[in-house]
Amino acid sequence: MSAATSRWFAVGVGTAARRALAERGGLAFTLTFYAVIVVVITALWRAAAESGGGTVAGYDATALTWYILASEAATVALNIRMIEVVGDDIASGAVATEMLRPASVLGVRMAAEIGRALPRLAGCAAVGVVVGATTVGAVPSAAGLALSVPALVLAIAANLLAQHAFAAAAFWVRDARSTWFLYQKLVFILGGMLLPLETLPGWLHGVASALPFMAMAYVPGRLASGHVEAQLLVVQAAWIAVLAGVAATAFAAGERRVQAVGG
Amino acid sequence: MGGDDGDGRHGDGRLRPAGPAIDVQGLTKTFTAGRGRRRRTVEAVGGIDLAVEHGERVAYIGPNGAGKSTSIKVLTGILHATAGEVRVLGLVPWRERRALTRRIGTLFGQRSQLWFELTPRQSFHMLAAIHGLDRRCEERRVAELAELLEAGDVFDSPVRTLSLGQRMRGELAACLLHEPDILFLDEPTIGLDLLAKQRFRQLLVRLNEERGTTIFLTSHDVADVEHVAERAVVINHGAVIHDATVAAMRRSLLATKLIEVGLSGPAPALPLDGVTVVEHGEATARLVVDTTRRPVREVLDALLEAWPVADISVVDPPLEQVIAEIYGVPRP
Amino acid sequence: MAEAWANPGAFWTQVIAMAVNDVAWVAFWLLFFDRAGEVRGWDSSRVLLLFAVLTTSAGLVLGLLANARSVGTLAANGGLDALLALPVPPLAHLLVRRIDTANVGDLVFGVALFLVTGGPTPARLGIYVGGVLAASVLLTGFPLMTGSLAFFVGRGEAGDFGLHSILLLAAYPADIFTGAPKLILYTVVPAAFVAGVPSTLVDDPDPRTALALLGVAAAFGVAGWATFTLGLRRYTSGAVWTRA
Repeated sequence: MSAATSRWFAVGVGTAARRALAERGGLAFTLTFYAVIVVVITALWRAAAESGGGTVAGYDATALTWYILASEAATVALNIRMIEVVGDDIASGAVATEMLRPASVLGVRMAAEIGRALPRLAGCAAVGVVVGATTVGAVPSAAGLALSVPALVLAIAANLLAQHAFAAAAFWVRDARSTWFLYQKLVFILGGMLLPLETLPGWLHGVASALPFMAMAYVPGRLASGHVEAQLLVVQAAWIAVLAGVAATAFAAGERRVQAVGG
Repeated sequence: MGGDDGDGRHGDGRLRPAGPAIDVQGLTKTFTAGRGRRRRTVEAVGGIDLAVEHGERVAYIGPNGAGKSTSIKVLTGILHATAGEVRVLGLVPWRERRALTRRIGTLFGQRSQLWFELTPRQSFHMLAAIHGLDRRCEERRVAELAELLEAGDVFDSPVRTLSLGQRMRGELAACLLHEPDILFLDEPTIGLDLLAKQRFRQLLVRLNEERGTTIFLTSHDVADVEHVAERAVVINHGAVIHDATVAAMRRSLLATKLIEVGLSGPAPALPLDGVTVVEHGEATARLVVDTTRRPVREVLDALLEAWPVADISVVDPPLEQVIAEIYGVPRP
Repeated sequence: MAEAWANPGAFWTQVIAMAVNDVAWVAFWLLFFDRAGEVRGWDSSRVLLLFAVLTTSAGLVLGLLANARSVGTLAANGGLDALLALPVPPLAHLLVRRIDTANVGDLVFGVALFLVTGGPTPARLGIYVGGVLAASVLLTGFPLMTGSLAFFVGRGEAGDFGLHSILLLAAYPADIFTGAPKLILYTVVPAAFVAGVPSTLVDDPDPRTALALLGVAAAFGVAGWATFTLGLRRYTSGAVWTRA
């Protein structure tokens, strides 16, 4: 990224974030939704730990709670139907209009989406800390929690890039927008949002560890649950690089197609 | 105080490349439509030749489906030509899109360049950063545009709360932020009320006269031609069928009015110089008036005196009809 | 329904999306219980029974009575006006007016899941059907109630939100909670009665529990009808601010 690109990217993130912060209603809704979800799912896992003699796959009730608080924050902060939204924008020709700016279409969209997500992420993190503190008490590791903060930001970046890569299929196939359902489930299970990946049977755990979805929910969850494995941030960064390449290539191809057959 | 796009632009003392601003030779664009055995090639535009000089105000008009949108998409780089040579400001649009978009502004009437949930000012902030304008430049420019467009509070309300007329002012500001050399507009006045249309047209003229911005406008509204353009290029069925100054066209094309009359009884023949009776039935009659030979007012007076008129309306002839009748091209 | 046949591509992708969704949930529960063992008396077969009841009744309500969740938005946008112009009882007509065929896929999935994993004997089948019907009444009445808020407050999203939240909470056995949250799930937001209770009845048909289920379902059904009717009266009196 050149200096000029970094500048408008930062401006984009800042502007979108400021606007999202002003939308009190939407923010309140997201935070309430997050609160309900995490209360339910952490209760489920605590009950599971209790029945399992105190731990499940090496996580105790406290660790499980903090895991879910982080993994859910990383996903609730985003509009998980984004594939549908971007797909619709592509189909309607809105993306063609965005090609009239002297900047990468994907880049500008990413800046706006990251900006929009940041206030939600911050809000969910705050609510999460409150829920955690009131249900199980202190966090297992302060260092882990600290690392989970950048992990959360990297997680949403990875998630957004992947969703845009999926959505780019809409340049060729009208109904690609419906794949958001499938994507969401992949993140839920293979991404470790609903369950720590260590709870999956061996072979599935292996598969999940090799896929980019783990960067979107598992990593922040793992760190917040007290496992101070800083190398996971590197894994996330690597996945971001890969997904950025895939998404950029997909969009470039899609834009060439727009130039050939119209938007 | 322009962007750092490196071609030596500074304020108004800009360097301009030699040659026309827009240079099109033999532009052809074909699409494939249908699937499988029903695949066929559709030629949206074929063999278009066009040259627009810096500082001109050109209207590119034709009926729906004539190829206007296709042409403007090619000129702005979001569509590539199947054949022919196109250069805008010396650049091939679809190949050098990034470089071109720094120097042109585009306003597509039914598409928005503003972010829906942001205020226009916030959108300008993003766009200014994208164009590489520094903060001072951005503020100066936005203030100028606010004054030019009489924007008042419009720039500070979220776009989703603005009326169409207000939003269009925001859109216009957005595409002028970086002081483009050419402004491309595709059906910009669609949906605006009469007053808003007039204001918009006046703005375009002012922009051109004060800043020398080349205006290239597509429309199927004849009034856009009359009030904005100095030159009109008429296209139909993907080809240019007329290219002349508006003054010349005014003399030939736009001097026609249609009168549609509802009759409440039999009407005698009424020969008048400059008036052609196209249809004369029992209950209705249609006349075409050449207003250079006889003012409409006189025709109306004569009609109202001699005919049992139940209902009367005076309309501009539809563009399709004007084109068809004047140039003898069969009606689509 | 004609729309579904007009655009088969979109229809089938939606159905497949729902199938994927449901299969993923089943997968989640199987993985969960595989790892956690029995949790507070619940195991995978009980949860799959719960899920079968849930998807069947959700498919029934979202599919065949699709407007139940939209009352709020329709009221806020003035969409009820067309309805009121017809000489039919408004609520009944509103409910059956829209069919979301893709959601009927959920219904089919739920039935299939029960037949495959629920050990269907005639008795169990009977209780399952009864449970589904009670749950459907609940799933119609609750969002009608929350959606009818729009008549009084003007914001239309509450109906959809109400439906989403009760469906979300209904997907988990209430026994994972203790104390106040558990109480809420049996009263204010009766998510426990939507799938947890009916599915438990299939395994263990207890008349008192059955009566409680019917009572709660009836109560929320009536409440939904009542708030809608009251709200409609207010709407037609012109006292409601709408965006129309």
